[in-house]
Amino acid sequence: MKVLVAVKRVIDYNVKVRVKADNSDVDLTNVKMAMNPFCEIAVEEAVRLKEKGIASEIVVVSIGPKVAQEQIRTALALGADRGILIETEEKLEPLTVAKLLKGVVEKEQPQIVLMGKQTIDSDNNQTGQMLGALTGMPQGTFASEVAVDGDKVNVTREIDGGLRTVALNLPAIVTTDLRLNEPRYASLPNIMKAKRKPLDTTTPADLGVEVKSTLSLVKVTPPAERSAGIKVDSVATLVDKLKNDAKVL
Amino acid sequence: MIQTSGNSMTTLTQDALVEQLSAIVGADKVRTDADSLETFGKDWTKIYPPKPSAIVFPKTTQQVADIVKFANAQNVALVPSGGRTGLSAGAVAANGEVVVAFDYMNQISDFNATDRTVKCGAGVITEQLQTFAEEHDLFYPVDFASAGSSQIGGNISTNAGGIKVIRWGMTRDWVAGMTVVTGEGEILELNKDLMKNNTGYDMRQLFIGGEGTLGFVTEATMRLTRTPKNLTVLVLGIPELDDVMKVLSQFQSTMDLTAFEFFSDKAMQKVLARGDVPAPFETSTDFYALIEFEAVTDADMDQAMVQFEKCMEEGWVVDGVISQSETQAANLWRLREDISETISEWTPYKNDISVVVSKVPPFLRDIDEIVTREYPDFEIIWFGHIGDGNLHLNILKPDDLAKEEFFERCGKVSTWVFEIVEKYQGSVSAEHGVGMTKKPYLEYTRSAAEIAYMRAVKKVFDPNNIMNPGKLIDA
Repeated sequence: MKVLVAVKRVIDYNVKVRVKADNSDVDLTNVKMAMNPFCEIAVEEAVRLKEKGIASEIVVVSIGPKVAQEQIRTALALGADRGILIETEEKLEPLTVAKLLKGVVEKEQPQIVLMGKQTIDSDNNQTGQMLGALTGMPQGTFASEVAVDGDKVNVTREIDGGLRTVALNLPAIVTTDLRLNEPRYASLPNIMKAKRKPLDTTTPADLGVEVKSTLSLVKVTPPAERSAGIKVDSVATLVDKLKNDAKVL
Repeated sequence: MIQTSGNSMTTLTQDALVEQLSAIVGADKVRTDADSLETFGKDWTKIYPPKPSAIVFPKTTQQVADIVKFANAQNVALVPSGGRTGLSAGAVAANGEVVVAFDYMNQISDFNATDRTVKCGAGVITEQLQTFAEEHDLFYPVDFASAGSSQIGGNISTNAGGIKVIRWGMTRDWVAGMTVVTGEGEILELNKDLMKNNTGYDMRQLFIGGEGTLGFVTEATMRLTRTPKNLTVLVLGIPELDDVMKVLSQFQSTMDLTAFEFFSDKAMQKVLARGDVPAPFETSTDFYALIEFEAVTDADMDQAMVQFEKCMEEGWVVDGVISQSETQAANLWRLREDISETISEWTPYKNDISVVVSKVPPFLRDIDEIVTREYPDFEIIWFGHIGDGNLHLNILKPDDLAKEEFFERCGKVSTWVFEIVEKYQGSVSAEHGVGMTKKPYLEYTRSAAEIAYMRAVKKVFDPNNIMNPGKLIDA
């Protein structure tokens, strides 16, 4: 079974994000970039499917600038077999990404498409669902467990108030949630081996998709700074503050 | 009533003591409640029961000077207190001393972007300075596991080292200038933050690492440096202790490392058992090295791969990982940084020893032989900043052994360990300081003549033996 995994290059989760002085965008100068954490989980799940003998080939795809190859190489080091970079410098919106991925799905014909439920840069949580709509494939979002059973995949989803398991006919789309697995580190011997794995580059034009943003970014501002707390000397003052200043009582 | 014993020879009653201290700092800045006495009377060593007579919180250098003058007049012993994360009982008040806590002197001021300096009150927390530097696109490089609690004044008084010494040196290298109050209550402004100042004895150096025995640091101007780029972490599995240093020199042959740490599998297993950080790889080896470097260009990354391949070919290394994100780098660091805190549960007997890097392999072999022979029933945890020749040897207390007996047995073998340290011309305390726990062993590193001069220096700055008495040397 072939598994397609989509990964995105985003600002590193650990980086304290700063806004440009002119409020035009987030400042990405000299900022560490890394694979989106939910995508790491998707890669890990694909590798586990391969280790279990369920997946036979893992194809990893990323969309973005040439440097996004780094994240594809990471996925190859983690166990993916080959990579595809759809190279573009344009800003991408979920619908465009879904259209591009649809192009790859049509070409590669994977049985499972694994992807993060959202990326931590724009937090849209839309691409998997849109890809489902565009391809007509069933979708299991917010996965905390993925079990392939013959020509079906059972996906346990994290929903408000509990878990819901859905059985999807293959081919299907699965978007990953945090508790699905704990991704491994890329081992150095595997990083060396990954250098020899194939990585093809294509363009949105090759896939017949026009990358055009319909949104314009007006202004980016950091969240308001929280002011320091105060100490009160008695319960009476506390109650008074809660009533009259905080107005929560 | 005050219970005086040992070094605190005052005849003042506790009420009188509190009254006079309150006159200097205000009544709300003197504490005598049981909780405060317990908390501020000890550091991370769990050997000496705390017994201070009062805790005083000055807010200015002048108040510190007034406290010291008062202490001289009334023969009150003083113990400085920072973040109390010390591991040698340098900030323990077990004899009715007054503890001078710098928590309220925590102002950061006078940042100068041209000089790349910033003034810190003694009570500024290390992490506070690190964050301040980061906000100004600069870097304060002295870093260690307790950076979230330790204070700058304490860092200077103990010349704190930590995990980046191989690249950026010790606290000593980052003090541009400082204000101290001597044991006579004199206020000295040392070095005026100058880069070049050849005007005789550099008295800064006496107070740095002086453990508060000559005077108390109240303020310091700290240097900052450029922020390192893309710090990348490798963790390598190394089966043989002997090969750890070979891996170090292999990597150093073409790369500038920002850290080279090592730890044993036993140490790592303790951290992994907590369940909040993942293992680096499935292969298990007796030892691991953590290497950190700046990956500015692809060429830097390629170099790391080349050296890794070389180490694999030689058979020194059998597996390894490299961080792909800052999150992974931070998690890999935790394998090393969480060791101390994790093992504190076992009341470890700590040795913090060092030799020059070239002598590490034979030194390690000798030490290893001794501890395996002498502590067959104890669990030994090895880790350390081996890239700068510093080893932390921790012996864990078996559950069924009483603390006193355990420390007594460890103390005996320490003598053996320190004889080896002496043989290799090493240090009995690489970065933890001497305090009380290493005081009996000072002679293994310092000659009798040196110790005599140290006593003479102490006499000059602190003639009445008021300042942190009983620590480092006996007056």
